[in-house]
Amino acid sequence: MNESVALSGSLGFLSLGDIIQLLGSSGSTGVLRLINRYAPDPGFIYFIEGNPINAQNGDVEGIDALYSLFGWVNGSFEFTREAILADKRINKSRMGIILEGMKLLDDGQVKKIGPANAAEKAADMKRLLSKSAIVKGPLVDYMYVVDEEDFFDGEHIVEEGKHGSWIWVILEGVVDIVKEVDSGTIPIIRIGDGSFIGSMASFLLQGHIRAATAVAVGNVQLGVLDSQRLAQEYAGMSLEFRTFLTSLDKRMKQLTDRIVEYHDGNVQTAEILKDKKAIIRQGNNEERQLYVLKQGRASVVRHTENGPVVLCHLYKGDFFGDVPFLHLGLEPEGASIFGSENIKIAKIEAVSLQKEYNRLSTTFKNIVDNMATCMSVTADIVCSSLASKKEVTADKNGRQET
Amino acid sequence: MAIFNLKKREIECKVVYYGPGRCGKTTNLEYVFKSYKKQVTGEMVSINTEGDRTLFFDFLPIGLGKIKGCDIRVQLYTVPGQVKYSSTRKLVLRGVDGIVFVADSLEVRREKNMISLKDLQSNLKEYGKSIFKVPLIMQYNKRDLADEGIPLMSIEQMDRDLNRQLKVPSFPGSAVKGTGVGVTLKTCLMETLKSLQREFKWAK
Repeated sequence: MNESVALSGSLGFLSLGDIIQLLGSSGSTGVLRLINRYAPDPGFIYFIEGNPINAQNGDVEGIDALYSLFGWVNGSFEFTREAILADKRINKSRMGIILEGMKLLDDGQVKKIGPANAAEKAADMKRLLSKSAIVKGPLVDYMYVVDEEDFFDGEHIVEEGKHGSWIWVILEGVVDIVKEVDSGTIPIIRIGDGSFIGSMASFLLQGHIRAATAVAVGNVQLGVLDSQRLAQEYAGMSLEFRTFLTSLDKRMKQLTDRIVEYHDGNVQTAEILKDKKAIIRQGNNEERQLYVLKQGRASVVRHTENGPVVLCHLYKGDFFGDVPFLHLGLEPEGASIFGSENIKIAKIEAVSLQKEYNRLSTTFKNIVDNMATCMSVTADIVCSSLASKKEVTADKNGRQET
Repeated sequence: MAIFNLKKREIECKVVYYGPGRCGKTTNLEYVFKSYKKQVTGEMVSINTEGDRTLFFDFLPIGLGKIKGCDIRVQLYTVPGQVKYSSTRKLVLRGVDGIVFVADSLEVRREKNMISLKDLQSNLKEYGKSIFKVPLIMQYNKRDLADEGIPLMSIEQMDRDLNRQLKVPSFPGSAVKGTGVGVTLKTCLMETLKSLQREFKWAK
């Protein structure tokens, strides 16, 4: 860790209001940096003797930027002590800012940015993707980087359907993940620094077939990960944890495929949901339990303004329910689970999985976290691509009438 | 839990005014702010929340002495009553050291008082505190309205309604006129400090 960092931690544990109070009572001067995986840029708040004097969130500066940062209920923060040269743009008292910030958050005037409300965010996701929705990962752990590679704008890093088992981490730059179909190229997701290219399946199966194409946007520097070391680590995990990871990976792949299917418009939601009963209801946060599917089939479905959207299918051996250590943005907060009639499920003790997760090496943990973030974002994109599809058809119908 | 600021040699504790909407929490604090101006440090922060206002300021009590050579600074808050202000309420109630419950004496508000008190109990529970252990003072506000012929509940009835189990000190008050405001705050501060001393076993 950087030596000048005086205080760092998770926003989920210590909220911005608490941090400001803490820095206020210790009269600290320096920069508070907030990192949220769901925001394209980090947020900055500048403090002189415990009082915030300026803030920055993307293009916004001053008090409005500071208020908007109250919506970052997830993510991490870092406070570094340093001399502040920024202009004094904020004159309000510390406590006034905190109370006003909290109030704006409660009033809904400041938007929460995080995975739990991913469903609400889905609507403006589409707009964001074209502009700046970039999934970034945590800081790169260079221990696992064995080589660096450079790619130029437009170059294909991996191609769908080709064999390959490298996993890369993006050191610098932006990469588009796309799917090639007959009608052209469908963009899936845009990833940036710290994100990973290549799925976990790469070292599960020999001669893995790439599920999507990765294209460099601008010049990109990639770090090649030591896949042997990762594979070894993977081999040392318990069977349960490995099945859990495989299950996550399958979901990710399905979500990606779903974008293509919805793009083509050939999904029969009603057909899929026929004869199925709800096991977990969306938004039911009371029961926090992880299950494994023993028999039958289940579907992960998100309820949106445009009706239910089937996100992925689950089969024997797949996991579902609340994963306490990952934010998937799916069930129970952002999706329901529907099971077939012959379904059999078993409860899983998430504690042992969590312990194993905590023991993972930094890089492996980063891969898992990054996959969870991508999953949450991809689910949003699936929903919004359906919404836009509907708009398009509505447009067409409108035109036909005139 | 009070905050020890070793840099400034201060002990910061938090007193929160709780009560149903429009019961006079804000008026109480505004009166304190006006009449004890010398003891108030910094400005009063006022946030407009729906149907209510949330106030905050720092207060230096006089005549309560020092604890272990540290000055005592009190942060006075009112809390927004509406359900939706949960983040604000959470922030305000976290680490609260003393509470003034302002009850409305109007007969029509009888139920509102009880609901709010229940609400306080459940909120405190969320932060691992018991309403029976937290220093709590009751103020039966708006007594002055009796002169205008508006039906009020009797003190005895309010005690029965709200204070039967709690058995905490209670005072009649009229925040508009300032009656009872001082004594409520002073008693609450004394109770708060007593409880802090108990907590840290400073007193023998």
